[in-house]
Amino acid sequence: MAYTFQFLDDVAMADLAFDAGGDSLQDVFQGATNAVIEALANPETIGSAWQQAIDREDEDPAALLFDWLSDLVYWKDAACVVFSKSDVRLTQQEDGMWKLNALLYGEPINVSTQELRADVKGVTKHLYRLACEGGRWTVRVVLDV
Amino acid sequence: MKLNTQMRVTRISNEIWEIAPSEKAGMLVPARIYATPAILESMDSGVFEQVTNVACLPGIRRYALCMPDGHWGYGFPIGGVAAFDVRSGIISPGGVGYDINCGMRLIRTDLTHEDVQPHLERLMTELFRRVPAGVGASGFVRLDRSSFEQVMTNGARWCIEQGFGWHRDLECIEEGGRIAGADPSKVSDHAVSRGINQLGTLGSGNHYLEVQVVASDRVFDRDTAAAWGITGHAQIVVMVHCGSRGFGHQVAGDYLKVFEKAMRRYGISVKDQQLACAPFQSVEGQDYFAAMNCAANMAFANRQVITHQIREAFAAVFGKSAEEMGMELVYDVAHNIAKIERYPEGELVVHRKGATRALGPGSADLPPRYRATGQPVICGGSMETGSYLLVGTEGAVRDTFASTMHGSGRTMSRAQAKKAIRGEQVQKQMRQHGIIVKAVSMSGLAEEAGFAYKNISEVVESVDRAGITKTVAELRPIGNIKG
Repeated sequence: MAYTFQFLDDVAMADLAFDAGGDSLQDVFQGATNAVIEALANPETIGSAWQQAIDREDEDPAALLFDWLSDLVYWKDAACVVFSKSDVRLTQQEDGMWKLNALLYGEPINVSTQELRADVKGVTKHLYRLACEGGRWTVRVVLDV
Repeated sequence: MKLNTQMRVTRISNEIWEIAPSEKAGMLVPARIYATPAILESMDSGVFEQVTNVACLPGIRRYALCMPDGHWGYGFPIGGVAAFDVRSGIISPGGVGYDINCGMRLIRTDLTHEDVQPHLERLMTELFRRVPAGVGASGFVRLDRSSFEQVMTNGARWCIEQGFGWHRDLECIEEGGRIAGADPSKVSDHAVSRGINQLGTLGSGNHYLEVQVVASDRVFDRDTAAAWGITGHAQIVVMVHCGSRGFGHQVAGDYLKVFEKAMRRYGISVKDQQLACAPFQSVEGQDYFAAMNCAANMAFANRQVITHQIREAFAAVFGKSAEEMGMELVYDVAHNIAKIERYPEGELVVHRKGATRALGPGSADLPPRYRATGQPVICGGSMETGSYLLVGTEGAVRDTFASTMHGSGRTMSRAQAKKAIRGEQVQKQMRQHGIIVKAVSMSGLAEEAGFAYKNISEVVESVDRAGITKTVAELRPIGNIKG
């Protein structure tokens, strides 16, 4: 598994933008997932007592990634948690549909023990683009904070 | 003048600039930007692109406008104002913003800087304890679905019924703290799950609670200030900036998806996906309007619960009731909203995104207490430089659909600001300048450093000179709570 992510200085002045990349579609999903987790809090300061399995499918991998990243933001607010990690598994079914099975780990928000960062309110479609060029997958994501 | 656009920008006056419809295919009306020459030169290219994209939307009337605190946003620029015909025009979540009814509230007190300074550390600690801020913060108000639906339909009025405030507070809130037409059945379960725990919380980003001193040497309109209870020397006031939290964001995101599909059905094409819209009279348009009003009411309730907590904190620290300390609302005003308003063209759906309503004296839409002066306009600056209290004018009603600026506007991205300074350094520097800051996130604090924002005084001066608001008083921070 080889993925990267990098927060961007010059994109989305009032918000938070990142590029994620990977050698496969699964890798770029994992890179983008880790970027959102790191935007919310330092994962090294977060335990894994809370877990949530999430399954999704879509024929369009870009729509699937967008909805999955939005799931992270949803669970942050709905369960009042921040995340330590997430294992993401992506498979393509015979009918062409992309299926995501993820396990999200975290713990309830605790200001005194966790290094909290930005309260991401949502994933936006601004500049959102998932692409494969020269065998490498990339995505640009702007988070509304 | 060197501008960040290839389009031709024509000077109408020293503070008003126009881009003609001939500059971009599809523009239905001219775009107008309110700014001094210096501010116009500093505006990013996104402002010019986006305000002219807005000018292409169906049913737009008169102008697509951008205020001097404008910068790039999603779909509409921040600082964007546009009005659409109620019958033939559209409604767009991109013209409201994700944080529906993000807004400003100002509370006056009878206390002076001299009264508060010896207790400031304790006061800020107490406020930090009582007003949750930062990532995923949940408030002290526990709600079931039915109660949350009452929040959605009744806004700040629900809070008053629950004892979170005084009945007379409602007269000092835009629309009396409750916008009619909210329908909880148009809100998704996801949105409810995100919002149900968030009443009474600040959030993060540029949201804050600030204890401020009225700058005695910078009260520009003493009569208006006095009419609103701003009377004393070095008087203490409290400013709150926040909105509908994750709830409003979910409503906006849900309906952007609905509108993307609906546009195909209605044959609408837009220059930017984030300008997704639907005819105002369509089922989708009406559903969004009903859901958006739920989020707007939640935001009024959010600021009302926070006000209750502020009053409680002051009472605990100073050993007097909030009423004894004269902690009355000056005003509460939205700066991310769409509303139906009447203008010479007829009924219009006025979108304000990072722009404040600014009704002038005599407006029938104002409660009697503001009719002689005009409506208070509250503009937050950076946490280091201070804020302003302004008043709406007849000029705003005539020229800008009764709209003006909302804040100072960023000049540097969050990522750049974090590279330039650490949060601990910002906190230390501010303490040296007599400002105590309590923050949940040090990286979030670095993002909000004063140098990352425009000089608010210049922004205020430009709307004052353009005649769309008049400056009443400058407010300087002495304590700040950040998410």
